[in-house]
Order: sequence, then structure tokens, then C-alpha cells
Amino acid sequence: MNAVQYDKKLRLQLFIILCCSAIFVNIFGDYFTRFLLSEIIILSLFAMSLDFLAGRGGMISLGHAMFLGIGAYSTAILFINFNIDPFLCSLLAVVIGLIIGYLIGFIIVKTDGIFFIMITLALGEMFHSWAYTNDFLGGSDGISGILRPKLLGMDLNEPLFFSYYLLILLILVYAFLAAVTDSPLGRNLDAIRQNSGRVLSLGGSVKLYKSASFGISAAIASLAGSLYAQLNGFVSPEISHWTVSGEGLIMIIVGGIGSLSGAILGAVVVHIIQHEFSKLVDWWMLLMGGGFILVVLFLKEGLWGLILKFKNYIIENK
Amino acid sequence: MIISLQNISKSFGANNVLKNISIAIDKKECVGIIGPNGAGKSTLFKIISGSLFQDGGSIIFNDANIDKLSIEKRSRLGISQSFQSNSLFNEMTVKENIMVACSQSFKVGWELFKSLDKRTNIITKSYEIAEEVGLTEYLDFRSDNLSYGLQRQLEVGLAIANNPSLLLLDEPTAGMSNEETKNIVKMVKKLSTYYTTIIVEHDMDVIYSLAKKIYVLDSGDLIFDGTPNEVKNSKLVQERYIGIKQ
Ligand SMILES: Nc1ncnc2c1ncn2[C@@H]1O[C@H](COP(=O)(O)OP(=O)(O)OP(=O)(O)O)[C@@H](O)[C@H]1O
Ligand SMILES: [Mg+2]
Repeated sequence: MNAVQYDKKLRLQLFIILCCSAIFVNIFGDYFTRFLLSEIIILSLFAMSLDFLAGRGGMISLGHAMFLGIGAYSTAILFINFNIDPFLCSLLAVVIGLIIGYLIGFIIVKTDGIFFIMITLALGEMFHSWAYTNDFLGGSDGISGILRPKLLGMDLNEPLFFSYYLLILLILVYAFLAAVTDSPLGRNLDAIRQNSGRVLSLGGSVKLYKSASFGISAAIASLAGSLYAQLNGFVSPEISHWTVSGEGLIMIIVGGIGSLSGAILGAVVVHIIQHEFSKLVDWWMLLMGGGFILVVLFLKEGLWGLILKFKNYIIENK
Repeated sequence: MIISLQNISKSFGANNVLKNISIAIDKKECVGIIGPNGAGKSTLFKIISGSLFQDGGSIIFNDANIDKLSIEKRSRLGISQSFQSNSLFNEMTVKENIMVACSQSFKVGWELFKSLDKRTNIITKSYEIAEEVGLTEYLDFRSDNLSYGLQRQLEVGLAIANNPSLLLLDEPTAGMSNEETKNIVKMVKKLSTYYTTIIVEHDMDVIYSLAKKIYVLDSGDLIFDGTPNEVKNSKLVQERYIGIKQ
């Protein structure tokens, strides 16, 4: 598992461009574009959680949609059954995701490569079928009636405000992950991805570092799940289906694994193709599949790599 | 005495790679281990550092039995090794390689916020280590862009970044040119004045110039131990090892 080249400045530039576009869309958009924007931001959070896990620690999780589910269901239950403030629900969902993620991580990070992928897949599917059959979680119907927070006198049930709220959270998560990437933990995760045996022989707690990063990633996915439940007003087991994890992985591969802002770009591109093209043409799956194969074959560092090449080209030809 | 190996044995299937090896080493000693290919030298290192466990016998380090300790725990106690084949962080620069290594001994490896390359204490220490292993000019080179000889130097650099109280060097000159060998011998000679060092080496000149005491392994048996002069004059060693080499 290789991660893309490290270019902090470009990472930030790309992120700022994406945020500005989001603000633009939000101001001039209508109800539907705002909803689409909200979906994309939430998926970006999910993609960033996968990007952090794969790009830093070299862990590919095909069960991460489980944490979307954990975040969404805990938000639903805390709100509906315990009447907790929606904002607090999201915060609690982060904490729950962190704890469950850390504990699961602690058990599974011993495994590597394909075994890790299969274990995460199995766990995700276990969660999905459990949610599907559990009466308390509403079975296949899920839970509805989830409301969005009211913050600083603003009712986030108004789409314009909710998109801004999501954008602020995206900025916070981005800033957090960018800081963690450069921190000792982040650099140790890079080291583990490159040569975990050497980190051990230097006295590093590979297991602790990896499970901590699994917990962090799960917490962010759980936040995304909580927000997704609030966006739609309901949650159903579909949110934790393994194909959702698969789509997340496609996003980060298209964006460029380990580039953080590339993950967001990947979410934008993949979701728009999925959503908009599926309305226009019925062979959109072919388009998506073909595009994905081209990226994997020719763009090892995804769209991020393309942007990086473009930047270097401009610098050289100045 | 810093470490004592007591009747260490190890086999892989029917292959008895180490048979009843006992070695005791004093603080600040520099000890050499020699022996033909496949004698069990690297296996012995792996057993000391904890990446393999022995089948029989025990290891006492600083008066404590460390038989059950994992590799990272032993490393934290101060047992550090450089490997026979380079084991670096290839996508990182020399500086980053050393800083990651230092982040373990500074116990900050799990910290989430303040950037690693803004931590002055670790940077200072990393520069010292780069200096020690002659890589000051190459700090910003990616380690996979270094020449093989310089990578060997970084390999030793990572081992000392860990603040070792026992340094295990597995053929630091393996595969190096004569010129590169000279550099690294000078470097190791200096290091062996502050660290208790065990060095495995095929180059006899190197071993004679570094080690005060030499152990000779052959097919898993400890067949001789003595000062460089005693080894030079030992008929047995001449026959079993050095004779074969020449
Ligand atoms: N993991 C392993 N599984 C099976 N056999 C092994 C393993 N590691 C080493 N051996 C065998 O143990 C014997 C000793 O190997 P070792 O690497 O310790 O030798 P060495 O003295 O370091 O040799 P060299 O000078 O070539 O480095 C060899 O016969 C080798 O094939
Ligand atoms: Mg060897």
C-alpha cells in the first residue's frame, strides 16, 4: 500500500478551492443542490476517515460503513428514545465510534493485507444483518423522525444552514486530520505502513498506534453517519451495507490515497457521477467502472496525482 | 555484566541452528561474533532482540530474565539492532527516518497534535545521530535515493537513535566497497566506545580492529572464544572458518 506524495501546500490549496466551491453552490443552489451538497460533504467525511486509515496506517477497511451505521443508529436512539439534543447526539456518536473503533481495532490490527480486509468485511456484514433483524433498531424499516440541531438560534432543518454547518465540521475534521498526519502518531503510521517490523524493533507500539488510528477513523465515520441520519431524518440498515464501504474506497482511490483533500475530490466526482449521470444515461455504471479502471491503471495517485503533475508542470514552465 | 546468554538452543525443524550457546558480556565491551554462512549468527541476534524465541536456555539482561519479553519491550529496555539487510523507511527522508526512530525513545510516538518536525528536542537529537553516522549532508534525501553504503550507515543510525544500552550490529559492512567499509569501521569504532556492542562480521580485519573479544560459531556450536590474537593463532578457527574463507 503506497500513499501519495506529501505536498502539504497543495493539499491545503485544493481543500480551500473545494470549500469555496461548496460555499458558491450553497449560496446559489436550490433545495436539491443543497441536499446534494450536504450528501457530498457527509460522504467526504466518510472518505477522509478511510483515507486516513489507508493512507497513513495502510489499512483497507471494507467494513467501515458499520461505523456510519453506529453513528446513525446511536444518533437516532439517543434522539428518539432519550430526547437528547441533536448536536449532543452527534458528539456522543463520535465518542461511541471512537471507543468501539478502538476496541475493534485493538483486536483486528494484528492482521494484515487481505486478512484485514476480510475481517473488516465480515464485521461490517455482521453489523448490517444485526441491524436488519433487530426490532429495537426498527429492522429493515429503520428509525425515522430524527431532527437536526438548533445552534446559535439557527434552525439547521433549513438546508442552507445545514450545509454550512456540515462545511464547518468538514473544515474541523480536515484540520484535525492534517494535524494528526504530521504528528508523531501520523509519522509513525507512515513508518508502519512502510516497514512495521522496524517500528517494532525500535520499540514502537505498532498495535497501539494502529488501533488508535482505527479508533480515530471510526469516530469520523461515525460522525458522518450521525450527520447522514440528520440529513435524511431517518436511518435504515442500508447505510451499513458493505457496498457503501466499497464506494468509499472507490472515492479515495479516485482521489488519491493519503492525500486527504483528494478524498474529498473523489467523493465529489464519484457521487456526482453516481447521482447525476444515473439520471441521464442508464449505462452510468459502465462509465463509472471504466473510469475507475482507467484511474487504477494509469493514475496511481488518482486525481491528486494529476493535479500534482499539473502543478509541477506549471512550476517548471514558468 | 549487561547480558548473559545461558545455554541457548534453537532449531528450525530438524536443523539445530544453535546448540547450547552461553555468552556473557560486560558493560562497554565490544564483542565480535564470527562464523561461516549459516552458522547461526543472525539467528542468535534475533533471539537476543526478541524477534525469535529460543527453544531452550535463558537470557538475562541487566540482572532480569527477558525470555518472555516481546521485541518492542526489549527495545525499550535498550536492546537495539541493525539488520544484515537494510530495514529502513523507504519513502521517508534520512531526517524523517531518524526522527521516527527517536520518537520511540522520547516516548511521544502516540501523540496526536504538535507536528513531529516542530519538536526541537527530537530534531536536535536527530542531527546528533546523523552526525554520528556521517549523514549530515544527506538529511533531506529520501532514503531509497541514497547509495547502498549510505543506506547501511542509516541502518546503524536507526539502531542508535533508540538510545541503546546494548547495540547489536549484524554485518554493518555487508556488501560495501572498500572505501565505504573504511567509513563504517571508523564510525562503528567510535560508537563502540559509548555503547556495549556485539558485532557480527565476515571481514576479519574489521573484526580484529573492533572487538576486544571474539566468539566463533560453527554450525550452531560455539567452538572458540578469545582475544583477536588468540583467534588469529587458533588452529581450530583457522581450519573451521578462516581457512575456508581464504
Ligand atoms: N526462519 C527460518 N526458518 C528456517 N530456517 C532458518 C530460518 N532462519 C534461519 N534459518 C536457517 O538457520 C541457519 C542459520 O541462519 P543464520 O541466518 O542465523 O546464519 P548466519 O550465521 O547469520 O549466516 P550469514 O553469515 O549467511 O548471515 C541457516 O541454515 C538458515 O537456513
Ligand atoms: Mg546472518
